[in-house]
Amino acid sequence: MQRSTILCLTTSLFFLALVSCGSSKVTAGYVEKPLTTTVYDVLYFSDLQTDYVYKANIAIYGNALTGIFIAKKINDKTHRVVFTTEFGNKLIDCEISPTDFKVNAIVPELDRKIIVNTLREDFRLLLREQFVVQKQFEDTENTIYQSADGKNSNYLFFSKKAKKLVKIVNASPRKEKINLSFTSEKDIFAEDITIKHYNIKLTIVLHYFKP
Amino acid sequence: MKIRIVLLFLAIFPLSALAQEQKMTAAEMASFKKSVNEVSQKIKSLSTDFVQYKHMDFLAKDIETSGKMNFKEPNVLAWQYKKPYSYSIIFKNGKILINDEGKKSAVDMGNSKIFAKINKLIVGSVSGNLFDDKEFDITYLKVKGQNVTRLNPKDAALKKYIKQIELTFDKEDFTVVQVRLLESSEDYTRIVLKNKTINAKIDDSVFNH
Repeated sequence: MQRSTILCLTTSLFFLALVSCGSSKVTAGYVEKPLTTTVYDVLYFSDLQTDYVYKANIAIYGNALTGIFIAKKINDKTHRVVFTTEFGNKLIDCEISPTDFKVNAIVPELDRKIIVNTLREDFRLLLREQFVVQKQFEDTENTIYQSADGKNSNYLFFSKKAKKLVKIVNASPRKEKINLSFTSEKDIFAEDITIKHYNIKLTIVLHYFKP
Repeated sequence: MKIRIVLLFLAIFPLSALAQEQKMTAAEMASFKKSVNEVSQKIKSLSTDFVQYKHMDFLAKDIETSGKMNFKEPNVLAWQYKKPYSYSIIFKNGKILINDEGKKSAVDMGNSKIFAKINKLIVGSVSGNLFDDKEFDITYLKVKGQNVTRLNPKDAALKKYIKQIELTFDKEDFTVVQVRLLESSEDYTRIVLKNKTINAKIDDSVFNH
């Protein structure tokens, strides 16, 4: 009796593992639904008139770095992004679009390939306005829109209750890489944003202040 | 006739605009330096409110932050932002103490020449005593009746962070009323100092975080 229970449990776990491999962990527990939209628009950094100014706290491998994060949409596709110290010294100044990236200025301490590449990917995901949707999932709280991003996918979590985008998860087929969460009063603007990395120990917290 | 007057006005106007910025004569420069040095030598402590405007050409508005600055001889400095967030940075005994909304940290600047220079520069900017020809190329100007110095760092490491420091002095008491830190021709940080108190007792707790 005991042996058959163990056998049954093992078999169940084996099948569970197989099922888990078949779909992403991000959508585990969700039910796939027919698409209600083919493109999802994110409006949090979309206004050409607005100066998006945030107090930034960065935790990287146990070290803390603070400053001011500034983003401004300068044309249809491009955002200018500047990160300064509280005194106003620029640490990085760049222009970013879904296809281009240009560094206008960077302090020597940050001018390393791994840092620049990580910031580029984070800013690109944060500022991106359009996501082409390939799959859609739902549970009682959220609708998830899945959008391909190279070998990875972006999963956009839309809260049914709040009627707002609350999270974007960038994940490979096996695991989550970046988690972007938004706290917002309106769906066009986010007061608080957290960017958390899973493959490196990096978390960026942005808190809006009126310029 | 009217056209002539307009033309005459247009011809004169650019000249008068240029005339608002003049280099000091040798005599004016010597007298100005003497006055500033006398004032800054008398400063044992200084407490002032400040408003900081970060200007970047691509933004619709300057980013405004404000707070209080306290300085005590020989070189203890507390720079405290109160709006729109609480953040303080204290330069004391070769250390930089930071308090970010209650989160405290400390950096040893013992080995960092650049931090030592920045510390000296901030203290010098506020007291006005920055006339170091070894460190800076200095221009002495009269702008709209006010005394202004423009300092271009010579040090290669410092140059990467600051292109120019511009200090504007009070006409009456020769203390600094405005500091402008230029990063490029388009972007700068302007700090306006207000409600200055010189040599009043400052509680030591101001310099602890």
